Amino acid sequence: MTGRIDAVPSPATAHRPGSAPSRSGPLPRPRPRLLTGMLIVLGLLASGCGPASSTSLAAEGLPRQSDGWHGIQLEIERTLPDVTLLTTDDEPFILAEELRGDPTLLFFGYTSCPDICPVHLAAIASAMNTAGISYDDLDVVFVSVDPERDDPERIDEYLSNFSSRMTGLHEQLPIVADALSQLDLPGPVVEGPDPRGEGDLIGHPAQVIGFDANGEAQRVWPFGARRSDWVNDLPRIVEEWS
Amino acid sequence: MNVAWWCSSTPGQIWTWRYTPFIGVWIVAASLIGGYVAAHRRAGQPLDRVLFRRWCLGVLALFVVSEWPIGQLGVGYMATIGIGRYVVYTFVAAPLLVSGIPTWLVDRWFPIGSKRGQVLSSVTRWPFALLVFNAVLFGTHIPWIVDTLKVTQLGSFGVDVLHLGAALIWWWPAIRREPERGAIQEPIRAFYLFTSSVLMFVPAAFLTFSPLPLYGLYELAPPLWLGFDPTSDQQAAGIVMNVVGGFVLWGIIAGLFLTWSRQQQNADEITRKARDARTLARMKVMSDAEAGEAHDGPGTVGGLVDGGAVPVRDD
Repeated sequence: MTGRIDAVPSPATAHRPGSAPSRSGPLPRPRPRLLTGMLIVLGLLASGCGPASSTSLAAEGLPRQSDGWHGIQLEIERTLPDVTLLTTDDEPFILAEELRGDPTLLFFGYTSCPDICPVHLAAIASAMNTAGISYDDLDVVFVSVDPERDDPERIDEYLSNFSSRMTGLHEQLPIVADALSQLDLPGPVVEGPDPRGEGDLIGHPAQVIGFDANGEAQRVWPFGARRSDWVNDLPRIVEEWS
Repeated sequence: MNVAWWCSSTPGQIWTWRYTPFIGVWIVAASLIGGYVAAHRRAGQPLDRVLFRRWCLGVLALFVVSEWPIGQLGVGYMATIGIGRYVVYTFVAAPLLVSGIPTWLVDRWFPIGSKRGQVLSSVTRWPFALLVFNAVLFGTHIPWIVDTLKVTQLGSFGVDVLHLGAALIWWWPAIRREPERGAIQEPIRAFYLFTSSVLMFVPAAFLTFSPLPLYGLYELAPPLWLGFDPTSDQQAAGIVMNVVGGFVLWGIIAGLFLTWSRQQQNADEITRKARDARTLARMKVMSDAEAGEAHDGPGTVGGLVDGGAVPVRDD
């Protein structure tokens, strides 16, 4: 697991995510005890093995909140970070200003991420399609935490696997780390080599943060959010946060 | 080297092509082959090549889809391969295993009249077998069951045992030909298989037509490639269950009907030949009678034929 899940500034931390021979003569009796014994041994061996992974993620998706949402409400006030990042055209992008006016889903990740990033982005893109939500009504923003490998072309190419309407942003690591710290999220950390042999894995916040049209953070969706969760929440975001 | 007992979903674990042997799979495969050979030696029976080949192919099918990589990919990463594993367990491995057991071995392990024999007769009676097979089919494809059981090696092992056990019970009355053990005849056998193929459309339809992924473990698994879509994967899984499972079953049903129609054709041929022989015999009698009339004069032919003196029935 490359994303740190315990960096959510809210109760979200709790949500980790026929030609037989003829019959002849009396035959010796079989040994049913041997067979039974073998089965018992197999069963015991199996029961002695726990899950092959220590990671425990809930495949059931996010639990439905009392207010009907699946995303988790933030208990502390946070706004869009006051930083200037770069678009994939290398144009300046003042986060706090550019994203006001429409609700926003903000996610920090990197294009070599093997698990959390593609799962989150694919779920959002698919749910947007299923729920009939337009990218004109909801901004989906991906900020790279891996400026060394994620050049603009690579970010564009990466996002096109999900939706070319998603916004990709990048900047030097200190600026990205500043944006994260303004949201009380830890900066990216190198976690070690990628088992696929594709450089290093980078630890980063694993949740998607939802901002309303005024740039105020409202809810988070930790890793484990499924398409069904998004299909439930996306229409509410557009309706209630615009 | 990473070693595990049985393939299970490992949430969050990135897929790599690093070999992970599943010891349980090796033990089960070795036990099935070793047990088969040992049973023959103990009974002093020679190995029947055809039956042994079937048994080994059945074990090989089980082995291939349970061992790495197919086992791991099917349980933790792709629903299509997961359903493919079910299809191989049910429609390839199970019938090969059932047809690979010699009759004497069945009689030895499950003597007629013994308690074990009665249990076997009960569980392999076709209505019960149909019920068990479909209960397991439906039950083990419920999302909550899949997401709960397949994330542990024991749970995953249990699901595989259920699939194989239900398939063995289901194939037994369709394949075994021992009349004293309730072998079913062709029309019922075709109905039996056809009913299952139709019922299989239900879970397959859920997979194919659901707009959202049903199984969290496949949806949240690290994707095998960028752009991998769990919904499309699930639709493909439904098609595999329908098309591959259906093709195998309908192929068998078609084979049964062909055999049956050939038998009927042979029976009809025998009847036709008998009728032709009778017609010829009658014509010969009439011809003889006409010859006799020509020789003796008129007045006797009608009496002979109409009076039923010729023992010919044209029925």
